[in-house]
Amino acid sequence: MGRWSEETVINAAPDSSSLAAARKLAHPGPWTDCGSNDDLVWGKCQGSGKTPYQVSVDIVAPAYRCSCPSRKFPCKHALALLLLWARGEAAEAGAETADFAKEWADQRAVRATVKERRNAVQPADPEAQAKRLTARLALMDAGVDDFSRWLTDLVRTGLAAARNQPYSWWDAVAARLVDSQLPGLAEQVRDMASQVHGRTDWADHLLRHAGRWWALSKAWSGRDNLTPEEFADVKAALGWATASADVQGTESLPGPWLVLGAHRSDDGRLQQQRTWIQGPDGTVVVLLDFAAQGQGLAAPQLAGALLDVTVARYPGTTPQRGMFTGPVTPLDVASSLGTGHSIVQALEHESAAVARSPWRTRIPVLLDEVTVNSEGTGWLHDPHGDALPLVDAPLDSLLALTGGHAASIFGELEDGRVRPLTVVVDGRVVTP
Amino acid sequence: MMWLAELRTAALVGTGRHDAPQPPAELGFQAPDGLSREESLLDQAALADIVTRATRTASAASSAGFPSPAPADAVPQASGEAARLLELLLTQAPVGPGLRTQLVVDWLTLAEEARRRVPHRLLPALLTLAETQSIVFRRMEPAIGTRGRWMQEIKGQPSQEPATQSTGLRGSDAAAGYGPLRGRDPAATRIQLSECWTSLSARERAGNLALFAGNLHDNDEALLEKALDDKAKGVRDVALRLLDQLPGSARAARMAARLKPLLQLKGLLSKRLEIDLPPDPDKEALRDGVPADPRKGEPDRMARLEAIVRGAPLDVWTSVTGRNRPATVALLQDEPRVLNAMIAATAARNDVEWARALLGVLTDRRLLDCLPPDERAHWLERHVRESSDEPLTLAPLLQDLPQPWSVPLAEAVLTVISGKDGGRLAVILSEGLPTALPPEVTERCRQLLAQTDKDASRRRVLRDAVQYQSFKQSLTEAFR
Repeated sequence: MGRWSEETVINAAPDSSSLAAARKLAHPGPWTDCGSNDDLVWGKCQGSGKTPYQVSVDIVAPAYRCSCPSRKFPCKHALALLLLWARGEAAEAGAETADFAKEWADQRAVRATVKERRNAVQPADPEAQAKRLTARLALMDAGVDDFSRWLTDLVRTGLAAARNQPYSWWDAVAARLVDSQLPGLAEQVRDMASQVHGRTDWADHLLRHAGRWWALSKAWSGRDNLTPEEFADVKAALGWATASADVQGTESLPGPWLVLGAHRSDDGRLQQQRTWIQGPDGTVVVLLDFAAQGQGLAAPQLAGALLDVTVARYPGTTPQRGMFTGPVTPLDVASSLGTGHSIVQALEHESAAVARSPWRTRIPVLLDEVTVNSEGTGWLHDPHGDALPLVDAPLDSLLALTGGHAASIFGELEDGRVRPLTVVVDGRVVTP
Repeated sequence: MMWLAELRTAALVGTGRHDAPQPPAELGFQAPDGLSREESLLDQAALADIVTRATRTASAASSAGFPSPAPADAVPQASGEAARLLELLLTQAPVGPGLRTQLVVDWLTLAEEARRRVPHRLLPALLTLAETQSIVFRRMEPAIGTRGRWMQEIKGQPSQEPATQSTGLRGSDAAAGYGPLRGRDPAATRIQLSECWTSLSARERAGNLALFAGNLHDNDEALLEKALDDKAKGVRDVALRLLDQLPGSARAARMAARLKPLLQLKGLLSKRLEIDLPPDPDKEALRDGVPADPRKGEPDRMARLEAIVRGAPLDVWTSVTGRNRPATVALLQDEPRVLNAMIAATAARNDVEWARALLGVLTDRRLLDCLPPDERAHWLERHVRESSDEPLTLAPLLQDLPQPWSVPLAEAVLTVISGKDGGRLAVILSEGLPTALPPEVTERCRQLLAQTDKDASRRRVLRDAVQYQSFKQSLTEAFR
């Protein structure tokens, strides 16, 4: 593993304030006993206390340890040490590994072996597995039944009455769904509480979602009639996670994969990163990364980068969720994202996607020759005189990049609105 | 669609009170038999969801809010390291906000010299910064390029900075343009203003007259004399302040006539200058700005003397004493209020000779500003090095000097700062110090920083200075 670049360090930071604090510490002054080898970077940082903080970083499988009490992860000390190391200002290789770093590395190695052994030693017990599956299905069946009853109650008493309910009422329903191992549904219900109180078209929104939830319950009950892909979509919508180990074993598609664009969101509890990538045969796959508040998300991939990596796909209809199954090597930077569609074609794609899987709400689109209109929250216009509204769009940035000229824009089509993620201008792929 | 509206109504009030509608036949939807009202409504809600999402159509493009495309940029964009540094400054500046602003200004200046422009993707952040930092706003041209100007147009920003102070009057078309005109053609302004003098309000007369301060000329005297008879006190005050700047005026001569009888050399060797207090002002004296007696209490007779000293030519003093300026000033050492009035007169007339003489006995920022830049820097440097005053007294002298300082001055100031009690001076100067210190003394700052020092704020100021210089160095190299 080579030396990290400063960008890699910056991307490892949990938030910008940690990074700012780290930059203040990123000078050799407070550091002593620094060093690095192929796997580790370590050093001691003099803080306000008497004993310096001991910082160790595993740079191969990124892991951080610091004796400071910060709950940020990695903390400013680890980031500062990495910054110094990345700039080549400290922690040069050659020194003998410091005791505290060695101890930590050994502990980690031991833990890893134990875990490995446990996984290897415990072959899946098919009987116990089947038993667990039956129990889970029973629990989910009961949960879905309960939810269907709640839905019928909801429409019997009327949506207007539901609007008068406090947030806690929705939260109680969501909590019951979580107990029944239906976290995906629970998330949607919890989100509905704020939508109902915040949207002007709340009645339509709630009505359509109630219908969607109803259809989802029905689909679950009739799961025996679904194709494996359709069933996988239902599972994903209900929040039944597919173990990544199961995906690892499936067929991997070779690269090069083109990064179309990425979106990061942070709802206060969870950070999410969606990265859309396109394979050589045109297959589009979305990579999902999650991290709890205050933790670092996986490093984002640069839009327009061509990556040499193999990708396995989760079960489900297209566009499927994917995961990297090998090391990622950036090959090149593309000068375009290929040929896209007109707005009408994009909407046809959305129709087709809804028909394939009504639970999906987001499809990737590459729009060709669109111009940005800054009216309201922004619009995209295509040469045929059609327009689509934008959502979450950095309008100033889009205008600055395109200058009011037509450009290719990649984004997510969601509820008839486009969330722009990438712009292609002057033969370069840029994130607005 | 009627069906959707009915469905919504039924859902809002609830199936307990309202029956679910029938789905339209053209959708080909066949509901199974024996459904309850609730199930029927939920089935149709699911159908409505799918139908809405699957049948979306594009909106017709409206032309409102549509900008005409930006013309192409003629200047190549800054690339590589230069672009990266600007991005760093704009998005996650490694320095404090004050330094950040200064470094962005430096970047823009260097870009102009290298004939490079701001990369398009960084324009929004730069324009946002310029909204709050007027110095960035003023320096944005020409580095923002065609695209930047286009962005400003779209965002409806003025391409010229809004005037921070209202110059002259508002509302009157005749005088609205005097500010710039006075700068170009003082005589024309004077003539115009005299012509419409009577038609202007008191506030307008005062405001426009005040514009003369920058480039007052002896020819303006007639108008000022006229203004002394103005019925508005505000106008008279402005005229008096301006007449203080004209030692050759008739009013100055009148003041000289009032001052002379008050001054007498005493002592065997004429080594003592006695100053009498002026008598109660007559009508003429009141017109010339000698303060009237207050309605209550003792009259401030010293204030009368000060007004006379400020208005009279300074040469009255040398003619009375028969000595040169420094010797005359030496006689006045025990008269702080008189000296203060003389400083005011010197500053108003920008009198270099008197400034030099007065600086011999006391230190004042107003006097320093009268000296030519080189002499001022030299004087300051010597003063900073030799003065045994409290370091804090240097702060007003050093603030707002042209930057960067000369190397000797910077070194002298660093010596004071690093000395005892220098920390507080460092804090007061912290805003401008990093930019004021020339690159030659950066090494010295580094050495000072390496010394153990408990004064955290002093360390911060020095660190800022080092950071600024090293960042600026990177900028210079990036544009090479």
